[in-house]
Amino acid sequence: MRTQITKSLTTNEAIVVYTIVALSLAIGFINPAFREFSTAITLSRAMLVTLIFAVLEMMVIVSGGIDVSFPAIACFSSYATLRLILAFDIDSVFFFYAVAGVMGIAFGLVNAFLIAKMELPALIATLGVSSVANGATLAFLGTKEYSNIPEGIDQLSKTFLFSYTNSNGITFQMTSLILIPLVLLILAYVVLRHTMLGRGIYAIGGDRFAARIAGFNVTRIQYIIYMTAGFLAAVGGVTYTILMRQGSPQNLMGSEMMVIAAVVVGGTRITGGHGTVFGTLSGVLLIAIVQNNLIMVGVPTHFQSFVVGLIIVLGTGITSIRAKRVANSSKV
Amino acid sequence: MKRLQIHTLTKDQKNNIILVMLVLLIFLLMTILSPRAFLRPANLKGMAVQFPEFGILSFGMMIAMISGGIDLSLVGIANLSSIVAAVVMLQMGDSVFSIVLGILAALLIGALCGVFNGFLIGYLKIPAMLVTLCGLQLYSGLGLAITKGPALTGLPEAYGEIANGSLIGEIPNTVLIFLVVAVAVAYLMRSTIYGSHVSFMGTNEVASKYSGINNLKVTMYTYIVSGLMGSIGGILISSHYNSAKSDYGKSYTLLTLLIVVLGGTDPSGGKGNVLGVSLAVIVLQMISSAFNILRVNSFVKTFVWGLILIGIMLISRIIDTREKQERRTQ
Repeated sequence: MRTQITKSLTTNEAIVVYTIVALSLAIGFINPAFREFSTAITLSRAMLVTLIFAVLEMMVIVSGGIDVSFPAIACFSSYATLRLILAFDIDSVFFFYAVAGVMGIAFGLVNAFLIAKMELPALIATLGVSSVANGATLAFLGTKEYSNIPEGIDQLSKTFLFSYTNSNGITFQMTSLILIPLVLLILAYVVLRHTMLGRGIYAIGGDRFAARIAGFNVTRIQYIIYMTAGFLAAVGGVTYTILMRQGSPQNLMGSEMMVIAAVVVGGTRITGGHGTVFGTLSGVLLIAIVQNNLIMVGVPTHFQSFVVGLIIVLGTGITSIRAKRVANSSKV
Repeated sequence: MKRLQIHTLTKDQKNNIILVMLVLLIFLLMTILSPRAFLRPANLKGMAVQFPEFGILSFGMMIAMISGGIDLSLVGIANLSSIVAAVVMLQMGDSVFSIVLGILAALLIGALCGVFNGFLIGYLKIPAMLVTLCGLQLYSGLGLAITKGPALTGLPEAYGEIANGSLIGEIPNTVLIFLVVAVAVAYLMRSTIYGSHVSFMGTNEVASKYSGINNLKVTMYTYIVSGLMGSIGGILISSHYNSAKSDYGKSYTLLTLLIVVLGGTDPSGGKGNVLGVSLAVIVLQMISSAFNILRVNSFVKTFVWGLILIGIMLISRIIDTREKQERRTQ
């Protein structure tokens, strides 16, 4: 029992949580504005879309692959659907999510075919798909940004769960869109922990040949993973469009780096087979705190990119040193 | 008899013959489609100034890939080292000495970034892909922190001559630099002990460890060399624009990957040759300027690059599996 407690206090997830606590205390100490409840609301708004992407990326990385195409897929499907909506005057949130979701699944199918069927390296395959999707968006769909989102869809960005007024009289509102990543996190937790499919994802990430011998249909599981990833990418893209109240063909491009970083910092092993939903959540939280509050403690904006990079390197370094120590320790 | 001859060619040679035919095909096509624009000296010169930039970066990517890794941080290294060079030159003023010092500083930064990559990959055993992806963020971030955003301008006039001038006749300097680097890399890979160690390690890391190769040392050398390639590329880029910035050449990461795979380098490590990569550089530069001349939207280029990358990978995969099946039936 006692060893179990010490074990759970020194997992990767726990270390990330300590870092978050220490960082929050430090920021709160330097700048009292951080200590307000409103920080939680701004943070959850900042984390919202990243969380959706992190869930899909975690799932892919656990299965031993990697997906760098999700920002391009998100942009393509949300932008294309938005143009359909504007062209035919369809004012329906369901249509927005459903059509974009189908496009996302189609891209996911391409990824899955290249990776599962043709056995191409996941990084190169998804990099190629990313380039195709991004090029197609800009070349064939246009580069115009749309902010005239139909009334009914736009309404969703103005529905709030609750609002909070701070001592200065500024009102902060918690957007109801936060329910999407929350539901996804719970779903991902249940699927990964308590279904055969979820265990299969861990199994092929650990050793795909062993997984096949153990009776998992590796190709089918990979198809499911990448198609789900495509679907979630589209959901993320649409959510971002609604949240920002603006449709842009490439404002999500380049976010893959930050998402992969959040997932890996959260203790998911890049070589596959290890990773938890809770770890991913804390990884995203850590990166969001760093990104949003460096200004509060007086770090200039142009240093941010470097500091985030440094944190990622440290995070992955610590995870790898621990993994190496486990590998070198004597086997019983 | 003829069939036998084809079979005696290695896979590399077959790939290179295909690439040469591609070069000729595009050249022919373009001279027929728009001879005036394509054969104009200005266009040829424009091509010659551009391709060495990503060509040299591609060599860095090739070496990393042969060693069984990948180097996605090349563009970051290129920008960081050119920024440091620019800072040195701006401090030292307008003289030959300051330019030489700037170039040396750039090479030093490239090597240091390589040491950092190599240490994390070889010693801490973090996957190369992750290390160099982080590296890209880290080095560009550091560049951004130094420049605070805008490009560093006002570099010495003579520095611009490196990429834009021509020492020998009409041949631009960039082409000469590219040739020198290509020969040096070819020598390194074909005729040195290090070269054969890299491909052994890329083929099978465990086997190379047990046959007495110091994998850590080879990995360090590999990323130092690719870091140096990054900084040479950076010098060319900054000299071409006569300024340094943290986000020049962003599209080069995908492009170099594409070139290296097109040039017959095995993405899982072990195989690759300089000639193939050089030919692939020329093929892509010709496609690129063909697009410009035909006034195709530049975003279509991104789209086509992606299609070509996937297409090449698919074709070589299909050929591989067919050859394996043939061997099994024999």
